[in-house]
Amino acid sequence: MNKIKALIVDDSKIMRSAVKRALDQLMIADFEYVEAMNGEDALEQFNDEIQIIFLDWNMPKMTGVEFSKAVRAKGNTEHIPVIMVTAEKSMGKVDIALNEGGANEYITKPFTADKMHKTIKRYFDDEGNLNTGKEKSEKKSFFSNILKS
Amino acid sequence: MTKKLLASRTIPDEIIELVKESVINTFESILGEPPLYQENETPDGPLNGMIGNIAVFNPEHTLSLMLALPKETAMALSEVFIGMQLPFESEDMGDLVGEISNILAGEVAANIEKIGFRGQSSLPTATRGSDLTLFMPNKPPTKKMKFTGPNGDFWINMALSESK
Repeated sequence: MNKIKALIVDDSKIMRSAVKRALDQLMIADFEYVEAMNGEDALEQFNDEIQIIFLDWNMPKMTGVEFSKAVRAKGNTEHIPVIMVTAEKSMGKVDIALNEGGANEYITKPFTADKMHKTIKRYFDDEGNLNTGKEKSEKKSFFSNILKS
Repeated sequence: MTKKLLASRTIPDEIIELVKESVINTFESILGEPPLYQENETPDGPLNGMIGNIAVFNPEHTLSLMLALPKETAMALSEVFIGMQLPFESEDMGDLVGEISNILAGEVAANIEKIGFRGQSSLPTATRGSDLTLFMPNKPPTKKMKFTGPNGDFWINMALSESK
């Protein structure tokens, strides 16, 4: 099983730990974590090796959506799933993150490992590798997520 | 909604109800069971514990939320939230209370949007101490609510003011 390099961006250390704990619990892949405290910090840490991003919205210096936009603007990053993990719950915010920010998925806090699994499992194959097929860069409707859960 | 808020000297009942509902939903999603609203209870004296501060605001109005957690409640919450009890004096405890305030504000913002108050959340802050008393210097409309959850009592103070 290859290591998947995941960038976890949240200004709360507790929440970064919660995301890592949930991902380890899923045993969906073998993750190696890079952590950032805000969007600006995340942009500094972002490089070609990052394979998936878990991203809070409301952070000092640069928000999660601003960071996501900046990553997408770099080009050749559409294959990297951006998973918003945020307390922002209004439908307007979901729409902004998915359609303007370039995020692929939206999870609201507090989340369970099960909720995380349902959201991200389609990005991984049975061997714990990130899928390279077409579906990984497709946006999944937050509303269809709600209907399925 | 805007005109109504500007004219009122108290927080409109519909906002109070939506905040109450948000508190119950938020804590139920964290604790697994809903806290009970103590309708006729007024807050006790000075607090020995933590206060999480956050606001939902737009250019016209600011709804400030203060989550007051006695020390025992905060410590019990940490055990539920992260699986181990955090030392009360730790930085992580402040982080946790800030994050719970952030989650609450997200729920409040989504709920009050339904009645026309479209706002965004500020960044949370947390205060720890003993003999803590909350003051509202400019005497905006306020509402205090007490809740009892499976992990202890806590309070929500809210204030509605014009944004500056």
